[in-house]
Amino acid sequence: MIHRLLFGMLAALVLAAPAGAGGPAAFTTDSLAKIKAQYAGRPFILNLWSVNECSYCIAELTLLGKLAKTQKRLPLVLVATDTPDYAAAMQKTLAPLGLGGVDSWVFDDPIPERLRHAIDPSWYGELPRTYLYDAQHQRETVVGVLSEQRLRAWLRKHKLAN
Amino acid sequence: MGQLTFALLLAAMLATPPVAATEHRHDAKPQAAKPTLAVGATLDGNGRVWLARVENQQLWVSSSSDGGQHFSRPVAVSSTPEDIAANAENRPKIAVAQDGTVLLSWSQSLPKRFTGNIRFARSTDGGRSFSAPITLNDDGRIGSHSFDSLAIDGAGRVAVLWLDGRDRDAVREKGGTFAGSSVYFAQSADNGAHFSANRRLTEHTCECCRTALTWTAEGPVALWRNLYGSNTRDFALANLDSGKQRRVTDDEWRIDACPHHGGGLAVDARGALHLVWFTQGKTRQGLFYKRIADGRESPPLALGNPAAQAGHAAVAAAGSTVLLTWREFDGRAYVVQAMHSTDGGASWSAPRRLAESAGAADYPLPLTDGARALVVWNSASEGVRVLPVQLGAPQ
Repeated sequence: MIHRLLFGMLAALVLAAPAGAGGPAAFTTDSLAKIKAQYAGRPFILNLWSVNECSYCIAELTLLGKLAKTQKRLPLVLVATDTPDYAAAMQKTLAPLGLGGVDSWVFDDPIPERLRHAIDPSWYGELPRTYLYDAQHQRETVVGVLSEQRLRAWLRKHKLAN
Repeated sequence: MGQLTFALLLAAMLATPPVAATEHRHDAKPQAAKPTLAVGATLDGNGRVWLARVENQQLWVSSSSDGGQHFSRPVAVSSTPEDIAANAENRPKIAVAQDGTVLLSWSQSLPKRFTGNIRFARSTDGGRSFSAPITLNDDGRIGSHSFDSLAIDGAGRVAVLWLDGRDRDAVREKGGTFAGSSVYFAQSADNGAHFSANRRLTEHTCECCRTALTWTAEGPVALWRNLYGSNTRDFALANLDSGKQRRVTDDEWRIDACPHHGGGLAVDARGALHLVWFTQGKTRQGLFYKRIADGRESPPLALGNPAAQAGHAAVAAAGSTVLLTWREFDGRAYVVQAMHSTDGGASWSAPRRLAESAGAADYPLPLTDGARALVVWNSASEGVRVLPVQLGAPQ
């Protein structure tokens, strides 16, 4: 009896903490489909960055973090093109920017080209890069740093602005 | 349920990482180990293939006298481990002078993000032992120093060039703004025994693309991705001795981002310069080659299959042989492609598929001494391969 109780408690403990401290999920070839399914019928922002290889990304993440503070439900998905080894470094970068709780993913494939192709065959890896998906999941591609003006206009258009 | 069963159950639960609803999540590791697949290679005057590779925070040098079929036992350059950048566009560089001096440069990564040092070491005993590595950047700051390139004239002159953040840092510390990075270099006249003070070649360059350097009859010539206007990232060429600089691509790639995709440069026996580069500019997009000879430029020649993300080309030249190689991803595996010219870049062979790898892989490196052509390619599953290219007359 006591064992069953202990087992139950242990199982509950393990199941209750699936994502640990909210580290990034592994982004694989089918991840974008899952993200789109999660946002079915809704607009969202897919932002590609790198903790390790992209100084411009920090400026963009700072802007997104600022917006996340005022926009209660910013539909933001972050995908880092680093490797899962960088989970801690990613979190260390995102948390102070107010993005610690955002839906966060990291490339998990020895051939990043495969994942780039799954996202956009015309993407050679330049960062940052953002895709603004509308409710029908038609997307606009933003190459380079996303401007605050453009992002705010997009949020207004999709009735996401506060 | 017995105690043993319980213990086993507990062990099993602890050993199995918790699974999120749809994806597994990775445990945070305190220190990330970067992959170090990017190798350096050269062909010396005696036809020996030299290899510099990074493993366990050390740089290892080995050589082969049979065209890369067998390599000598690798020798560690330094007994002190350090973080050596050896992935993607960062790789160790190796060159061998006529007197057999082996020269090495590399970028060391420091713990603070985007900071590092440019390092140099050499061997005067044929690669059996190496001098203690020195730091070439002489600004004494923890700052951005990376994407080194190394060139020698073979007779004692050495140049090392890199991207340097010191000017940007100085301006920003005073509250100003500074676009891009700078290019600095150091030179030696005694095969790397001593280096002159650092000199600045130019300011406002792209921050995260490899540089290229080759030794011409007029001295060392560099190629780098420059910033034109506020954010147009086209290539510039300059002679380090004269400082004379000019724009060599008109792609008009305007982007406030890091392409991580630099250019390659080589010079042939007649003094013609051979350039390879990548762009997503307004004028053209993709991977290109061109030749600059007697002040005339050939029209850009598109390389590779854009649908296969052809990229990261490199070029080698000697005599009248020019060898180009690049990497593609065919949807299943990485593929190394190569093409060559035996008439100084006037005509070209068809591209040839030399090798493939279904896992993580380096960019391919071309080597030629004029008579022979080789492509060095490292990949996680196959290791370093030295692939011969038959130099038939171009079709």
